[in-house]
Amino acid sequence: MSMKPLCVKLSVQPSRGLVDEKFTVLVQNLLPGFQLTVHALHQCEDGHSWEAFAHYTTDATGTVNVSQDPSLDGTYSGVEPMGLLWSLRPVPGSKSGLRMRKMNVLTPMVVTISVYQGHQMEGFLDRVSLASVVVERWYMAPGVRRVPITDGKLTATLFLPSGAGPFPGLLDLWGGGGKLVEYRAALLASHGIASMALDYLTPQITKETGKMVDNDYFETAYRVLEQHPQILGSRIAMLGLSFGTSVTLRMAVYSQDVKLSCAVCISGSHVQPIGGSVEQILAYFNGNADKTRFDENNQVIWRDLLLPIPTDPSLKVDMGRLQCPLLLVVGEDDQNWPAHECAMDMKEMMERAGNSHLLTVLSYKNAGHLIEPPFMPFARASTFKTVTNPPTKVMALWGGELVAHSRAQEDAWRKMLVFLRENLYGGMKHGASFSNL
Amino acid sequence: MIPCYTVQRNLACIQRTVGGVRWTSSCRPAPLLTASPVRALIDDKISIRGHFLPPRCPVTVCAQMQSDDGDLWEAFAHFNTNSDGTVNLTRDPSVGGSYLGCEPMGLLWGLQPAPGAREGLRQAEKKKVETPYVMLMSLLKGHVSPSERPSTELAAVTAERWYMAPGVRRIEIRQNGVVGTLFLPPGPGPFPAMLDLWGMGGGLVEYRSALFASRGYASFSLAYIGHKDLPGPQNLINVGDPYYKSAFQLLQDHPQVYPDRIGIIGLSFGVYLALRLASHSGIKPSCLICINGPAGSTIKLADADGRTEQTENDQKYWTYDDQGNVSFRAVSLPANLSPESKVKLEHLTCPLMYIVGEDDLSASSVENANLIEETLSAAGKSQLLTRLSYPGAGHLIEPPYTPNSRASLWSVKPQKLVTLWGGHLAPHAAAQEDSWKKILEFMETNLRH
Repeated sequence: MSMKPLCVKLSVQPSRGLVDEKFTVLVQNLLPGFQLTVHALHQCEDGHSWEAFAHYTTDATGTVNVSQDPSLDGTYSGVEPMGLLWSLRPVPGSKSGLRMRKMNVLTPMVVTISVYQGHQMEGFLDRVSLASVVVERWYMAPGVRRVPITDGKLTATLFLPSGAGPFPGLLDLWGGGGKLVEYRAALLASHGIASMALDYLTPQITKETGKMVDNDYFETAYRVLEQHPQILGSRIAMLGLSFGTSVTLRMAVYSQDVKLSCAVCISGSHVQPIGGSVEQILAYFNGNADKTRFDENNQVIWRDLLLPIPTDPSLKVDMGRLQCPLLLVVGEDDQNWPAHECAMDMKEMMERAGNSHLLTVLSYKNAGHLIEPPFMPFARASTFKTVTNPPTKVMALWGGELVAHSRAQEDAWRKMLVFLRENLYGGMKHGASFSNL
Repeated sequence: MIPCYTVQRNLACIQRTVGGVRWTSSCRPAPLLTASPVRALIDDKISIRGHFLPPRCPVTVCAQMQSDDGDLWEAFAHFNTNSDGTVNLTRDPSVGGSYLGCEPMGLLWGLQPAPGAREGLRQAEKKKVETPYVMLMSLLKGHVSPSERPSTELAAVTAERWYMAPGVRRIEIRQNGVVGTLFLPPGPGPFPAMLDLWGMGGGLVEYRSALFASRGYASFSLAYIGHKDLPGPQNLINVGDPYYKSAFQLLQDHPQVYPDRIGIIGLSFGVYLALRLASHSGIKPSCLICINGPAGSTIKLADADGRTEQTENDQKYWTYDDQGNVSFRAVSLPANLSPESKVKLEHLTCPLMYIVGEDDLSASSVENANLIEETLSAAGKSQLLTRLSYPGAGHLIEPPYTPNSRASLWSVKPQKLVTLWGGHLAPHAAAQEDSWKKILEFMETNLRH
């Protein structure tokens, strides 16, 4: 019998997944005790290349199973089934301050997963791999419909799940960087929630008039959801990150027209001048700009702009008046907003008012500001362009440590989906009621 | 403390119910139907579940798929939700519909041409392998059949079923007279490979090769009859041994293929070609996989190289059922095979897997399997043979979770003929699932180790 060369087999299952689905990476048919490096490569939409890698040694059957075996070194270590994605980082020589965000959700994120011989640290693109496969990661499930919304002068995109509905609805707000960011809404629609991503800092109307939007902009967005023939007007939620939290809390507590089934607020604060518009809230933060600090790398720390948390009730949303369930998600190492401190203050306000049964706080040690859908690469700092006129570009420090932040993203997303499902699909007397109505 | 507005809203939502069960209302979102994974390969299982339904109530889960030719295929199954208002096809039995019992993939292999579809369709043979099948799954109220419109659709989900994994490359080959399509896995290679041969239906059947490439094997679908790029006439085999050798050589010479890790798979007449190639021609494949085919030619050979001549002789072996459907089964009985074409299996040197559908109405698979077994045994080579035999399975044992047709249109000229393939729904589906798994394991053992 001839000595054939080893015929390594690399497989990733599933090869096409949603971005929040786990995959299994299996390397087989090598000799036992064989040293190898598993490598992930992704080229993002703006052309930058990102990579992650990990060192493994095959077991007695000549196999490496990334979900079960420990990485000995690399961009992550230990047993990390999804480490090849969340530890992706710009390749050496890249520009600094990059952050990976998918703006076109109609196409998948494509990742090439390869196996190299030996424990390599660099120069992957100059080597020939032993094997390589291609994996697609999608924000949109098949059948989800993407609907641009311009009614009522909104700049928004609605994502509708498959089927006739009616579906619960959700208004999805990002933070101070503005733009129309669709990927989270697309993913939520893939989980059965009709979700609308709303640009409220840089919408078309602001570009045309030079004026920031008023509160009625958000009420209009809510109404578009409420009146949509495939959306259940009585089951609408709001989800806000960072500055989006400020808007969400204000709407949830003060708006006469907006009646939320529940709200999710990530990395944000209740501190704001009551009754102020978006512009006025931003001006309030800018008024404290002298509290800006810089770390040793000259990265901007903005968390102090809202500290100490005011005692003046006109400077905080009156959380005691909140009437719907609220999930707060905060990172304890958030260097951009004092989210954890604000969450504690909100909790205290609600305990005093007697509505704290509505509140759930998820607080993550060593997680930073940008708590996003799971398995996305982590950026402790990145370039940030303000929406002021003229805009300024800084290197913002978000905070967080790679592993803790990635775990926080995975845990928070799972709990957010459960929270949203319970409040939007379940709740009240669910199930058959053999009633005489 | 219940917030006031919620109570008011509840009162505003009083609604007539149907049969005392509140299915949908303006107060409650529709139930949810989920499928996971929503994008999968054809041979991947999917998990289909319904959530937020009333408990212990009848529901129907329905699947619809459109073939490349625009024909609609449908399947449905009746369930009763359990006490927590869920239905789970991995856990729950179907109590009626296209299949019965707990069959997680039943909605896929149970697909039938929808009422009003063209007559005599063969299973949706996917011609364009680079695009997926789009399956629309819906959850309907009560125990209904999909054609009972209007039925109340409670929820829906869309899933994609792919023959090609991302990164697989499809390459059309017209080289040295060889006509085929090569599928290469992603990556640098080299890869072990398969030569993929189908039956007398002719043309180029690509989907099994595409799936092999998605599982890490280079795979070459080869045309030998009924293709416009082959020498005519199209109803005869005008290529002989040198042609198949060229095809095998093409694989061996390919820079991304391991020349000494190539197997051959054949279905139906493709079995004869595979066996002939492995026993007569000096070609040494690493393994053979033979599904429901003869150990000799069913058509008189025109020359020593295996080309065939026009003959209607085999029609004397055709039998008909009371609907006028034809079975070709007896054509390939060992006694009816052209004697000079019987493959000299005693020359076989590589492992052979022979797969039998015991309800094969198109070929005498059991008898040919017996012949092969006896010949190898007499030559002291029975250790080379692995025989898989599936009761209730028909002729077309294909990749799993795809529907099977018991009969389909064979020809329209000179007369309209519907041919019988055999196979009963559930046993055939089980045979496809089990045999595919064993085929991949066999390839793993013989081509990778």
